[in-house]
Amino acid sequence: MAEPQAVRAWLSGLARGNRRWIQGTVAAGTVAGIATIVQMVLLARIVHQGVVEGVTVGDLTGLFVGLVGVLALRALAQGFQTRLAARCSERVQQDARRTLNRHWRATGPVALGQSSAGTLAREWIDHVEALHGYFARFLPQMALSVIVPLLILAIVFWLDWLAGAFLLLSAPLIPLFMALVGMGAEKLNQQHFETISRLSGQFLDKVRGLTTLQLFGQTAGAAELIQQRSDHYRRITLKTLRVAFLSSAVLEFFASVAIAVIAIYIGFGLLGYISFGPAPELTLFSGLLILLLAPEFFQPLRTLSQHYHDRAAALGAGAEILQRLESPVDNHCVPRAVETGGDQADPATVSLASVSVVFGDQPYVLRNLSLQIRKGDVVALTGPSGGGKSTLLHLLAGFMAPDHGTVRVFGEMPGSFRFGWLGQKGFLVQGTWADNLRLTTPEASDVAIATALRNVGLGPLLDSRPEGIYSQVSEDGQGLSGGQARRLSLARLFLADYGLLLLDEPTAGLDSDSEIFVLEALHKLAIAGKTLIFATHHQALLTLADRVLVVSGGGVRDA
Amino acid sequence: MRELRPWLRLILKRPWRLLLGGMLILATLLSGIALLAVSGWFITETALTGLLLAAGMAASINLYVPGGAIRFFAVSRTVSRYLERVYNHDTVLRLLTDIRVALFRRLAASSRRLRNELTGAQWLSRLTNDVDALDTLYLRLIAPTALAGLVTVLMLVLTAILFDLATAFIVAGLLVAAFVVSSGGVYLRTRELAYRQSDRQESLRTAVIEHLEGFAELTAAGRTGKHGAWLMRQAYQVTSAQTRTDTRTGWHLAGTHFLVNLTAVISLWLGLGLYHADEVSGPVLVLLPIALLGLGEVYAMLPDAFGRLGATEASANRLNRDCAGSADGDPPAQPPSRTGVALHAKNLAVKHPGHAMLLTHFELELKAGERLGILGHSGSGKSSLADTIAGLLAPAQGSLSCLPGVYLTQRTVLFEDTLRANLLLGAPEASDTELWRMLEMVELADRFAAEPDQLDTWLGSDGNRLSGGEARRVALARVLLNRAAMVILDEPFTGLDSETRSRISKRMDVYLEGRTVISLAHGPDALPGTDRVIYLTG
Repeated sequence: MAEPQAVRAWLSGLARGNRRWIQGTVAAGTVAGIATIVQMVLLARIVHQGVVEGVTVGDLTGLFVGLVGVLALRALAQGFQTRLAARCSERVQQDARRTLNRHWRATGPVALGQSSAGTLAREWIDHVEALHGYFARFLPQMALSVIVPLLILAIVFWLDWLAGAFLLLSAPLIPLFMALVGMGAEKLNQQHFETISRLSGQFLDKVRGLTTLQLFGQTAGAAELIQQRSDHYRRITLKTLRVAFLSSAVLEFFASVAIAVIAIYIGFGLLGYISFGPAPELTLFSGLLILLLAPEFFQPLRTLSQHYHDRAAALGAGAEILQRLESPVDNHCVPRAVETGGDQADPATVSLASVSVVFGDQPYVLRNLSLQIRKGDVVALTGPSGGGKSTLLHLLAGFMAPDHGTVRVFGEMPGSFRFGWLGQKGFLVQGTWADNLRLTTPEASDVAIATALRNVGLGPLLDSRPEGIYSQVSEDGQGLSGGQARRLSLARLFLADYGLLLLDEPTAGLDSDSEIFVLEALHKLAIAGKTLIFATHHQALLTLADRVLVVSGGGVRDA
Repeated sequence: MRELRPWLRLILKRPWRLLLGGMLILATLLSGIALLAVSGWFITETALTGLLLAAGMAASINLYVPGGAIRFFAVSRTVSRYLERVYNHDTVLRLLTDIRVALFRRLAASSRRLRNELTGAQWLSRLTNDVDALDTLYLRLIAPTALAGLVTVLMLVLTAILFDLATAFIVAGLLVAAFVVSSGGVYLRTRELAYRQSDRQESLRTAVIEHLEGFAELTAAGRTGKHGAWLMRQAYQVTSAQTRTDTRTGWHLAGTHFLVNLTAVISLWLGLGLYHADEVSGPVLVLLPIALLGLGEVYAMLPDAFGRLGATEASANRLNRDCAGSADGDPPAQPPSRTGVALHAKNLAVKHPGHAMLLTHFELELKAGERLGILGHSGSGKSSLADTIAGLLAPAQGSLSCLPGVYLTQRTVLFEDTLRANLLLGAPEASDTELWRMLEMVELADRFAAEPDQLDTWLGSDGNRLSGGEARRVALARVLLNRAAMVILDEPFTGLDSETRSRISKRMDVYLEGRTVISLAHGPDALPGTDRVIYLTG
């Protein structure tokens, strides 16, 4: 987990980038606060004039019109406040997503593959979204809960310093309030979150296994169990909540008591029972105004306490995002731009010169390896699992960099040009066959797409679909077997005119039909003069190769 | 709104609890309003009396009642707020349980075939979010709306009593407008946006996962930047819809505040007229506008809740759709008409709804006590055939009759519970001795005898505290504990080495004596003992 300070620093960094929006939100909030104060001044003035001075309603028209104007201003300011806040959050979210995107690209496919796609997607979507409340609500409200009470305090002091002193007395308590609220809210949030996720876990566990429960006729018992466990968690949670809610009750209590004390003080002052301090000078105007302002003094803090969970959520989500951004990526896995070593730029070979790769304390995966592969060759890499086949492929793809030595593909840095890659799992997106193939070759024609699909033996399947290449490939690869999915991926390599094709175990785990189609397809690609390098154990594939290399014990030898 | 009905009915099953919770919120709201209103009344009263006293006239004022009232409301606001929060949080957690249990029962009663469509982690996490959206329906939406209505009526009665009926009508008009702006208005303006939001989010999630799964391919093709930018645009559409919802909700909130404040100002305007006509006293003139100002807090709860109502409806809609209890249910598999026959399949075709046919013209007759092995490569429709025989999948064509049986699915499913609880699912009445004997048979007895909790060992989420082979054997033991006459085993030995496999297989032969067994596997060495073997060519 990232340090809380680091998370806060990262959040402030995001805030700095969108400073103007936050400042705008705070400014709008301040205008709303000032409008509220003016509204109360006018209200108290009207009451004083009408009740004490006996001014008629007609003569107060000006004040009433002003009052309505101020109300409109307040509403406008409030509206703009949410608008600016929402825009700010939108931009922050885009910034955060862009940063993550950039990080993914810098990390490269090999290191990225170490985390599950679901986790990464959750960070990119949900955790970034969890920042919303913090930037849209909490952060501006932090500033407002200082600015607005100070403004009100100044006015109350000016009206009656003793009443101001009552409020001020609570002012040193405000940081205390905030700490209390914070502690309470944090605890609350944490506890609530834990309970909810436990309950969800319990529930989902049973839903996931519902078929099994049904097969054994045990669903009723499971429902009972969900009920019991939920009740149990509820009781535990409530114990904590009873304490956690006390902190916000304290804030509520101080606010209520301050209003009560001020009301009673003003009342006695107006009666002339209090002969010291500013009390004798109180009028209905000043008295009423102080009373009307007192709740507004506490309101920003109460709002802040309502938004406190936004902060907790953002800190939690931020910690996970930051951990991703700062995760020390294995050095090898970062594609590196600069390499040392000689520059034998032979455009007709794939060459490795004195390449070594070692992970930590383990034995060398590749040791001082030098290798030349001619353009147009079909090369099979074989050898025991863990022998370094994949590492070698990753080096050639530029997904990894060696510890020592140089790798050149057709005289260029690996990964600096486009090439074909076929992983062990087929890669599908939701959409049509055409969408899937245009993913890597956007400009491909319909005919080329159909041809590519026929080349990998998907022709009959394609013909059975009503809309040809514009039929849906159906969701989650359902309806396509693993073998068909792999062939679809292979079709992409047909479509693009890549000079180099790297394939990791292209036939592993395939049924015999798919295997034949893949072999045929690779054969066609080989005839077309492509450079094919694949890792495999498969006998038929080894036969297809011009050259078979055994990768084991850190070295490579021709079989 | 119709989609919410079943859930509202469920929530309203606790009327007294809801009512009491609502009363506590009401007490909080009224205490807050009364604290300020009485204080305003008190200050005006003392100001006027003070002026009389200063002018040397005789005047008296009762300080005890208003002073006491102010102190009372200050305390009651705090206390009722605290109690309300604790009590209503309890309610929310109870509702959460109610909803989950009801949902689970509905899912359990629903057609398995329908549910087969809905699997995967994504659906499960969406289900959680959808349920969470309904949990807070009462506290966020129902209670505040009902209370806003109630408090408004109280205010109107107060206006009619303190001022006059004409004022009450004008105030009523404005407050109804404020109510509409803060509730229905927000709902209508955000409904569409919010309704589509979670669908958009789901397709975004799918797109992101696909992007990541194909990252190597995309990198090789030099397309990560382009595709990443496309994702950013998709994400932007989701956030900007959120922004629009937020902004609209914000404007409605501001409008509500404006209308409530305007009501207070107009009541002051009309009240001043009445005051000068000597129809109301000064203190009462001040009391009412301040009380009306307090309505702002009551209405402020509404726009946010109504801004999310569209999303809540969408959640309810999905739950209704995904968890619909089907009228027909699953027709129980017909037992074979002739005695001595355990299974009879005639011209059977197997397919998943919406997908291509996997098997057609499948004919099979199995005598009671016979052991059949079915072999086929992956994708040959083996597991789907097993699902069909076990009744999880309806035959696409043809007829099927078989004895009721017990089925070990290809996927190992263990629950986040103890070993004992997991095993007892197969045979709820089994004694500890029987459980240990079965564990011995699958060679797990030593493994769990070494655990401090023995049979009560916690297996963790989806049995993640076990290795794949151990989890498989627990699942196998669970099925074997069941004494059903027919046993279907789909890849029973996944994750086991060949020696363990053959040892267990031998013991199983003895144990399953006299029962009909269908075992399915990808190769002959993965099958337990069989009388005959058929091959699926797919």
